[in-house]
Amino acid sequence: MAVKPFQAARKLWQTMSSIKTGVILLIIVVIVAASGTIILQRPITEPDEMQRAYSPHVLRMLDAVGLTDVYHAWWFVLLLLLVSCSIIAASIQRFPNSWRYFARPYKSPDAVFRKALPTQKQILIEDEEAGVLAAGRALRNLGIKQELVITDDRVSLFAERNRMSEMAVYIVHASLLLIFLGGIVDGLFGWRGFVALTPGQQAGQIAIKNGTARTLPFAVRCDGAGQENYSDGSPKRWWSKLAVIENGREIQRKEIVVNDPLVYRGVRFYQASYGSNGKVDKLVLTATPATGEGVRQLSLSTDESVQLDPDTTVRFAEFIPDYVVRDNRIYTRSEQVDNPAAHLLVHSAKSGKSLNVWIPPIPGFAENALSPYRFDVQDLKMGYFTGLEVSHEPGQWGVWAGVILMGMGLTLVFYLVHVRFWIVPVHDVRGRLALWVGGTANKNREVFEERFQELVNEIQKELKREPAACASQHAASLAGD
Amino acid sequence: MARAKVEQQPAATGTMLVVMVGLSIAFLLFMAFLNVVKSGNLLSESNLLFAALIFYAGAGALYLGFGVTGTDSYVKFASLSTWAGLLANTGAVAHRWYAAGHPPFASIYEMLLSFVWTLAALTLIAEKRFGVKVIGTVTMPVAIVGVVLMQLLRTEVHPLVPALQSTWLHVHVTLAMLAYAACALSFALAMMFLIQDKMKTESFLVATSLFTIGTYAGILTRFEKWGGLSVVAWNPQENSEAFLARGVRLYVTIPDLGWLILLVLGAVAAPLVIALYARWKNDESLFTVANRAVFVSILLQVLTLLFFFFRARDGRYPSLDADGLFFTNLAASPFILSGLVGGIFVSLLYLLLLWRREDLERLLPDAGTLDRITYKTIAIAFPLLTLMIAAGAYWANRTWGSYWSWDPKETWAAITWLVYAGYLHMRVTRGWRGRRAAYFAILGFAVVMFTFFGVTYLLPGLHAYA
Repeated sequence: MAVKPFQAARKLWQTMSSIKTGVILLIIVVIVAASGTIILQRPITEPDEMQRAYSPHVLRMLDAVGLTDVYHAWWFVLLLLLVSCSIIAASIQRFPNSWRYFARPYKSPDAVFRKALPTQKQILIEDEEAGVLAAGRALRNLGIKQELVITDDRVSLFAERNRMSEMAVYIVHASLLLIFLGGIVDGLFGWRGFVALTPGQQAGQIAIKNGTARTLPFAVRCDGAGQENYSDGSPKRWWSKLAVIENGREIQRKEIVVNDPLVYRGVRFYQASYGSNGKVDKLVLTATPATGEGVRQLSLSTDESVQLDPDTTVRFAEFIPDYVVRDNRIYTRSEQVDNPAAHLLVHSAKSGKSLNVWIPPIPGFAENALSPYRFDVQDLKMGYFTGLEVSHEPGQWGVWAGVILMGMGLTLVFYLVHVRFWIVPVHDVRGRLALWVGGTANKNREVFEERFQELVNEIQKELKREPAACASQHAASLAGD
Repeated sequence: MARAKVEQQPAATGTMLVVMVGLSIAFLLFMAFLNVVKSGNLLSESNLLFAALIFYAGAGALYLGFGVTGTDSYVKFASLSTWAGLLANTGAVAHRWYAAGHPPFASIYEMLLSFVWTLAALTLIAEKRFGVKVIGTVTMPVAIVGVVLMQLLRTEVHPLVPALQSTWLHVHVTLAMLAYAACALSFALAMMFLIQDKMKTESFLVATSLFTIGTYAGILTRFEKWGGLSVVAWNPQENSEAFLARGVRLYVTIPDLGWLILLVLGAVAAPLVIALYARWKNDESLFTVANRAVFVSILLQVLTLLFFFFRARDGRYPSLDADGLFFTNLAASPFILSGLVGGIFVSLLYLLLLWRREDLERLLPDAGTLDRITYKTIAIAFPLLTLMIAAGAYWANRTWGSYWSWDPKETWAAITWLVYAGYLHMRVTRGWRGRRAAYFAILGFAVVMFTFFGVTYLLPGLHAYA
């Protein structure tokens, strides 16, 4: 009864390592991956859009099965693992044979091999030694490196190129597994988040995509940020000047742009966005006294006061981005700077009273006429923040290494041909002395046949030059008997 | 007596055609030159493109002449014409590159420019390296259509948004162009294999019909309730697509275009239906009817193309998303345009096969050779695809911090890669050759086309640029 489990295990192994299994698994992966591009995926799609696209019943079903987040579903990960196992099993199954082929070159072909080889020719010769020497010269003429193989009963030639080609396929599959491994490591140990900084602000905590927060062992400070536009107004360049602070000391500084991140201790900071934070940075205005002389240029931040003369101080009390008057009160309709209003308080030291100056002068609230100064706004500088994407991907090195390895592997697979030639002095069926020439190539048969014929012609040429070696009139070729 | 006559005829008409084509080229160039002298700007980008168009048209005519009569001298002159066109095209590319400050990859116009250049280059390579002389019959018409489209889609040089300002962009897009071109070549070779493998002309009819049905069904996803077709609106001031909000395009409805496309769908489905019926009833004479139906469908497609062209050029249309009437433009609907042009082109190719099958069989290499060259082409395409995906991943990592986000374009590129990997496995490990391999190669290209067109126009995602 111990035979049964053994047989079952054997069957399992055979199924696992068969090409058919691999192909079926790949087809399933393709179908699932394609469905993920057609079915709306969370969390990229907003929840209300999901509800608009699918009926509640369908949506519940899709969610339950995991089709709304296919690429992170446990069964998809399992599927990819199965594909990896199938690759590993198939490679292990076939590797020993290939390794034997690779590690122990077959240098001296026996009679059975010589009989069976498809690409071969026999060239009649007179003298064994001279014949082999002529063949050696031929190989050298064609630039093929050769080796003299000396066994008990004879001396023959062996020439081989690109033996590495036999291992190429395993290199390609190993590289694929390396890429998968990198992806898995990133899936398990990597994270991605976002942080928004205003100039001068520093942060050591990142909001992670899955909702949690992560504290870094260092902090990043923003020393400045900006946006440059093209002449038509579309964004040309977003930049941030960042500094890394660790243990209170500034370690590194870099100005980053999109496509050029800051990297420190495996954490990468990418320039992702740039925008207004809805608050005023500076209000630039002129103050013109009633006399009309001595116009002053002011630049105020919120709550900042400036003394205009010994008696008068002006304070930038509040800023309303999108004002609307309702029920005798001023509200803001939104955070967008669509309808701005600035509220200044002009304080007179003598009377101890403050005047409400509104720009624009909102009727019922503004006491602009009473103010000793007239204020005109020159510029409104909004505060801005720079948005940085932060990520830590320890597994990416596996991915890039895998990619490079795959490039090399594919080159080997498609473009490096393992070519072998043997030249052995033999006796043909009629007992005459001949040079048996044989060859193999693991791809590109047609081109190889031409090269083989080239070699045969070259050997014949060399034999003709050596009168003792060849019965030149009978330089007949007998195609394998 | 009869034999001598037959052999004499091609020689006579041979020189005639070459002379005619040569004179036409000279005439067109002369007219263009006169026009140019008037405007004063000789080597402008559009002039160079026009010159390229003239040369490609000449080459196309000569290739077709070769395809029909088999006169070798045609190929020589066609090659020369292609070379001249390539030269002019290179000039246009260089001009655009210089004017824009970046290689021509940032808009549909620029992608077409690069694509047409690649087509011409590949035609010459396929001829010299692989000895497939008739490939120009397919690539030159496509190049001509490409250049014509470019004249219609002329856009200003658009500065690149920050995410596209990277060397890796150029590497990725170059690799993509090369890989897709190699896949297109393998598709053409697989089709030629099927011709040489004596696949029945009726089967080609079914395939052509299915392809056009698929294309027009795809276009019909934009069918609106009262028979209109939804197309992207155009902003004439900005000379670009009209947007409602960031990333959200404004759509307008061209009335009656929906009905027309529906009619066309019926017209391209008719040959399939008739052919299947003929197969069922085993009535050969019905196939003639099916072939006539193909001819009718071509006429209808051309009419629809003209209708679309004129409607898109003039007139303002209502939108379901906003009040008022808006312009549209051919440049806003490259998918519909390519669908119509592609449908017409494929149907014409089928007619070429129908009327000149014996000549084609005589001129093409034998089936075994084509099978092997298809494999070799895919052996070039596959590493290119791999590198393209890798470069894209590296670029995404530098820009968005993630090398793989299962974005639809990324996912479909991976699917394409897997399909071609499947082809290689089946061929190398299971010894699949001939028909099965050819079908697999055709499937691979279908996936490539979906990745290139389908994902952009039918599915949402990050790859919004092209």
